[in-house]
Amino acid sequence: MNVQAPLTHQDFKSDVKPIWCPGCGDFSVLSAVTKALAEHGRPREQVAFISGIGCSSRIPAYTKVYGFHGVHGRALAIAAGVKLARPDLTVLAAGGDGDGLSIGGNHFMHACRRNVDMTYVVMDNQVYGMTKGQASPTTAPDWCNSKLTPEGTGISPVEPVRLALAAGCNFIARGFAGNPNEVARLILEGINHPGFSLIQVLSPCVTYRPEQRDWKQAVHASDGNPSQLVAEAMHRLASDDGFTTGVLFAGNRQAFMPPRRGLGSIAELERKFAS
Amino acid sequence: MAGYSVSVALTGSGGAGAMTAGQILLDAASKAGYYGLMTRSMGPQIRGGEAAALLRISSRPISSLDDHYDLLVAFDWGNINRFAAELPLAAGSLVIGDPEQGEVPEPIAKFGARAAELPMKAMAAEIPGGRINMIGLGAAAVLIGLPLDAVLSVLSAQLGRKGEEVLAAATQALKAGAEGAKMLPEVAKLPAAPVDGVKRWNISGNEAAGLGALKAGIRFVAAYPITPGTEVLEYMAPSLDKLGGALVQAEDELASINMVIGGSFAGIPSMTATSGPGLALMTESLGLAVASETPLVVVDVMRGGPSTGIPTKSEQSDLNIAVYGLHGDAPHLVTAPNSIGDCLSTTQWTVYLAEALQTPAIVLSDQAMGQARALIARPDDLPYVANRLVAKDNAEGYLRYAVTESGVSPMAIPGSPGNNYVADGLEHNERGTPSSQASDHHAQLDKRDRKLAKFAYGEMWADIEGDADVAVITWGSCTGPVQEALIRAAEKGIKAKMISLRLILPALPEMMAAALKGVKKVLIVEQSHSEQFYKFLRAHYDLPAEVAVIAHPGPLPIRPAEIVNRLVAWKK
Amino acid sequence: MSEFANFMAHAIALEMEAAERYDELADAMAVHHNDEVAELFRKLAHYSRLHHAEVKDHAKDLVLPQLKPWEYQWHGTEGPEAAPVERTHYMMTPYHCLHMALQNEKRGYQYYADLAYKSADPEVKRLAKQFAEEESEHVVMLEKWVADLKEPEPNWDLDLDPPVVSD
Repeated sequence: MNVQAPLTHQDFKSDVKPIWCPGCGDFSVLSAVTKALAEHGRPREQVAFISGIGCSSRIPAYTKVYGFHGVHGRALAIAAGVKLARPDLTVLAAGGDGDGLSIGGNHFMHACRRNVDMTYVVMDNQVYGMTKGQASPTTAPDWCNSKLTPEGTGISPVEPVRLALAAGCNFIARGFAGNPNEVARLILEGINHPGFSLIQVLSPCVTYRPEQRDWKQAVHASDGNPSQLVAEAMHRLASDDGFTTGVLFAGNRQAFMPPRRGLGSIAELERKFAS
Repeated sequence: MAGYSVSVALTGSGGAGAMTAGQILLDAASKAGYYGLMTRSMGPQIRGGEAAALLRISSRPISSLDDHYDLLVAFDWGNINRFAAELPLAAGSLVIGDPEQGEVPEPIAKFGARAAELPMKAMAAEIPGGRINMIGLGAAAVLIGLPLDAVLSVLSAQLGRKGEEVLAAATQALKAGAEGAKMLPEVAKLPAAPVDGVKRWNISGNEAAGLGALKAGIRFVAAYPITPGTEVLEYMAPSLDKLGGALVQAEDELASINMVIGGSFAGIPSMTATSGPGLALMTESLGLAVASETPLVVVDVMRGGPSTGIPTKSEQSDLNIAVYGLHGDAPHLVTAPNSIGDCLSTTQWTVYLAEALQTPAIVLSDQAMGQARALIARPDDLPYVANRLVAKDNAEGYLRYAVTESGVSPMAIPGSPGNNYVADGLEHNERGTPSSQASDHHAQLDKRDRKLAKFAYGEMWADIEGDADVAVITWGSCTGPVQEALIRAAEKGIKAKMISLRLILPALPEMMAAALKGVKKVLIVEQSHSEQFYKFLRAHYDLPAEVAVIAHPGPLPIRPAEIVNRLVAWKK
Repeated sequence: MSEFANFMAHAIALEMEAAERYDELADAMAVHHNDEVAELFRKLAHYSRLHHAEVKDHAKDLVLPQLKPWEYQWHGTEGPEAAPVERTHYMMTPYHCLHMALQNEKRGYQYYADLAYKSADPEVKRLAKQFAEEESEHVVMLEKWVADLKEPEPNWDLDLDPPVVSD
């Protein structure tokens, strides 16, 4: 019998070269995703990787699984459709902070509460890179380097992990692109945890937010004991500085999946109309 | 008016039960072997609003409301002015009101019909648990000559589970109404029920659309409720479960269309149903389905627009957005059922087309068909099922968007080894890799256009009836009145041909040219204010020199008489 | 699993991570038409692969532990010779590139030197010392290489074209 060697993370990389700026944190996320998938151990064709629009949303093409690069903000809806139609597939979604939390904000909230078994990687760089550096929903209110909001947005940023917890997300983790091996671990944990998992990855934009290179000094690991209680996690996250990495919440809600009983037939459906 | 049918309107407000009575009357007609049609007209109130059940019962198959009602039974006159225009009456018609509710109001009285009184409220009060709508129903059944046994049998089937007391009260009220009707003036009576051995169905357009989709193989639906499309989804939810499929309620139409894209990408024939405002929200992602060549179906049950418009009433005014609403050059399919039964056939055919052509399709149904219920001959079984061209496993050098002669490229389904690809809304090369090169853009635009243009759509593209040098071109729910008008015109010695388009997009100029061969005059019939269909035909087809248009916005339906009159006038 | 096998697993991963990172950076530079630096990164990847093969050869008779990427015990978050992604720039010059490589090799040297000093396992001590010496040779070589290069102008990263707008 021909026993195939297990796939390595390189086997999950495609030959399409990323268009990202050298130095971008998304390279590390790509590396982390491929490492997580290699450890996950399923054949490439059993994985679907869905994204929206933005720099980070280009990621599916750089992997060697089935992918969908959709329209802006709707990655989670497509991903939910894939998983609900084909429960046998492992489904990942990815995108940026603008794609996921601004234009896709409504889907984000409902994906958290719907709890379809999939893993969502948000590459958060607090900026819209693909349209030349505008403020995103996670940008600080006093960031003045965008021509669109030269005096800053004056609007409080959203904290993705807190929003997710409030909306009912079942697994919440935060990683840092500078630590791709840990991000890989978090993604794999997310895949293995039932229901909807959010992995926020602090992924510096060296072009529009060069100061984010200093995130390396700001990040710090959590104590390694993720809360399983919403109230406790809420309390912890309320005073979190946004740079704690690790699993922040691991809930125990059951994943959503319609039953599909299949106990009828077209003929039976037609009989109901016969008079 | 037509000797083979009788039309009845039951109206009331404040939960009087006009709809329930209408439903029972239709079911009883079915029981007695008749054909029939029931549409409804409602106010915007969630509960207790004015409501009219509008029925036509017939000894022959019918596809249209009549020009007027032979009998109007008004349980009360609350807000009758709001839909009096939808209740045309003739001099020979009979209006039955309750003396307690006062005189027949002017908007109804102006039709000049005969009026009679039946103290329905007082009669109901004498029966413990008696309801006014059952009094009216009993009276209506007797007046039009529908066997009371048929009504009683439906009543016991429907109310039986609510307990004996409820059924007994209803039965007693029904009989009291029937007794009371004996004192009332005569109205047009039903001819004998046909004994044609034709298997009959009792179905709404929205149910028919859902069933057609299921017959074609739809097994995944993402839903967001919207009037009047919701019943398609409500019908499909338990039905999908029975067939091993699934329906999921989405957070909005942006999500529902994208979930459908995801489901279809994953290999499961997928669809959603909506109405105009929902379709507007979906259009960006319909463009994605075009570019990524993801088959899917959207059933748009049209209502009065623009904006929230008139959610509960019909109009054919989403034609423009369905045809022209997508950004970029985005070839896609638009189809339209032209009767309640055809909601099944057209939706089934459309799923087949969308899957065969790997492109999104919009089915333009409307409230008049969707929320109407008909007694029809069982629709024919059609051979149309979803049959996507799928890539073989480990296809060497697999190219998802390969430029082929037909324009259709084999689609790899997740799970198929060796064929992984990334579907993309960005313009791409044959492999699917994003490309902004002119050559890739042109090649992909051409293939997406070619696959629709080259496909053999066959006879389903239009229903063509009759042969004459005058043709009526119509679509959707206007087809019923046109068919009836042509029968009546023929009785007056006027011949006309009907062309009812089922395939709106792509336009098929050669088929139309063949259908219009020898035609010198064309009458176009549609239900929109800005003559959307007429302008669409002008843009895509060569029409004869003489063209006339009957175009009215909703909520008033196009009636056969207006079409007949136009044809008669043309003849002179 | 013996300490030695664990050590060898790390040594192999260290070179592989370095090689893969250099490849990734070479690709990124090529995409941005910085062919000179792309070529250099490729060369560095090549050397890392040679070292990887050598280290693997040392371990050919060993049963190595199967570690997950996050189970390796490095001083930092990654293997010491993996070039830091965030320190790259699409207009970086060979000077920057080789300086970066020099830093990577210095970290590699430090990693092995520490182990040679701290480890109680004589085999680990011996080989770590040998690897540290090799790394220090790389350091010397790179230092020479770098010394031949002129420091770029202060405005080496000036780009006269604004960033493009994409999807």
